[in-house]
Amino acid sequence: MSETVVEHGGIGVRSAHSTRQRWSAVRVAGAVVLGAWAAAFWFLLVTGRDALYLSTRTEWVVPVAAVLLSAATLGRLASARSSHPEPLGRRELGVVVAMIVPVLVLTALPATTLGSYSAGTRAPVSGSRFSATPGDVATGELSLVDVAAAQTTPEAERALAGRAGETVTFVGFVARYGSTLADEFMLTRYVVSCCVADATVASVRVVNVTPGRFDENDWVEVTGTIYPIGREVIVDATSVGAVPRPDRPYLSA
Amino acid sequence: MSLAAPRSRPVTTRTVLLVAAALVLAAISLRALDPQRVAWIRSYIVIFGSLLVQALPFVTLGALAAALVEVFVPIGTLERLGRLPRPLQLPAAALAGLAFPICECGSVPVARRLAQRGLKPSAAVTFMLAAPVVNPVVIASTFVAYRARPSTWTMVGGRFALGMLVAIAVGWVIGNRSVDELLKPNPEDVHERHLPVERPEARWRRFFSHLGNDFLFMGRYLILGVTIAAAIQTFLPASALTSVAGVPVVSIVVMMVLAAALSLCSESDAFVAASFVQFGPAAQLAFLVSGPMVDTKLLTLYAGTFRRGFVRAVVAVVFVTTLVSTLWLGVITG
Repeated sequence: MSETVVEHGGIGVRSAHSTRQRWSAVRVAGAVVLGAWAAAFWFLLVTGRDALYLSTRTEWVVPVAAVLLSAATLGRLASARSSHPEPLGRRELGVVVAMIVPVLVLTALPATTLGSYSAGTRAPVSGSRFSATPGDVATGELSLVDVAAAQTTPEAERALAGRAGETVTFVGFVARYGSTLADEFMLTRYVVSCCVADATVASVRVVNVTPGRFDENDWVEVTGTIYPIGREVIVDATSVGAVPRPDRPYLSA
Repeated sequence: MSLAAPRSRPVTTRTVLLVAAALVLAAISLRALDPQRVAWIRSYIVIFGSLLVQALPFVTLGALAAALVEVFVPIGTLERLGRLPRPLQLPAAALAGLAFPICECGSVPVARRLAQRGLKPSAAVTFMLAAPVVNPVVIASTFVAYRARPSTWTMVGGRFALGMLVAIAVGWVIGNRSVDELLKPNPEDVHERHLPVERPEARWRRFFSHLGNDFLFMGRYLILGVTIAAAIQTFLPASALTSVAGVPVVSIVVMMVLAAALSLCSESDAFVAASFVQFGPAAQLAFLVSGPMVDTKLLTLYAGTFRRGFVRAVVAVVFVTTLVSTLWLGVITG
């Protein structure tokens, strides 16, 4: 910006018919926006925060965007000197601000995930989004994905019913609704295909929990006995302990 | 940076520094106050961030492809495609989407540049609408989402066929409109084309200039659309619409409106559509066909790119054609 010309109170206002190469304030401002977004994608990649927004299937977009936007920033800067530089106007400045504010939101706020508030507004999972088959549900270690899949097809539901009385261990966050009793909570995970916007809910009812021990959105590991009752799955807890939020808080379909 | 003409009054260096200081202060305040402690704000911000983090790379890829078209495709090359017999032009443009596995956000800047480089506007629009529906990734994800159901091939084949049909119908309605009748002017492009250059600007400079311009042009409309879509996703319960699931015509309309409101990526929307088991295949198909063509974030992108009459025409034709064709499908498949 050292050679930016300021005339008539404006940035980068050029004199007519100038042939000297000068910084174009508008192009530099564009480079700032591109650079801010490039930095945001590098930040998501380095800190692992991309997992808070995307599934494993789509996380490749983050490094791709980081590299492309970095190259675009450098290219924009390299071509920002012009014999006809343009001044930065109020409108352009407004666009710059509007495009940088989301970068601040993504990078400045503490890392968090979709919580129990959305669990009440989102659709339950569809069985067809899982690779789990009734055969998978009937044998092997049960996961929350198996349980969710079993809640949506009659064959898998019957397969899960055959596992009644077995001991399971699930990790999820605590969600409560108006009808949830004091010694219960819904152990919940979101299932994501591409990004959090398409998240659907997978949950089991955990009973026999010490009232008041866990708050909503606390991440816990529950071990207990599973009792599938129709489409509802109940886990009679033998132990419930707080755990840190997993690096990948969402299950991938 | 691309702007709506005419250019606004220049700002002073002091104003720029004040705005920069305000942004830094805003970042510090966000960190210190952490508004995400309020449940709905937390949901809103996570959904807003996820929509942006997923969509913006595709806008970047679209801007990259558009810049390549602008700089490396000679003027007149695409005009030759216009010499195809008219009944073949639009289906050919729609089928071209098979070669572009990009989401709907990326297809808008590509179509804009294709039209500017000589492709008939109706063909460019047909390509823009068809590409996010008929591309191989979307076909595969639709198959996976419905693979365990009796309606698997109805949904996969129906989405492909109706996606083509609706895109061609919009192209047909656009007819022989010129580029100027279709696209809003982008003053940055106009400015650059009319510069009194002493010698031709290097290709790489033009490439990066167009790449940046398209990203900035599309990016701001995407942010506006995502801001609205995230609010809808945060506050609209999925159960609110299920009471009309059994009503034939209304259920289809509701699913189209829902698709527009949710603004999902076309590569993932089949999984969400499949979760609305209360709705029949016709309504789910309407969700899958109209969603990648008309949704909240796309409408802001369209509004920034195309003239108002075009946006109205797209919305009307997409909705009517999707409604009629899915109703017929419902009748045929029972």
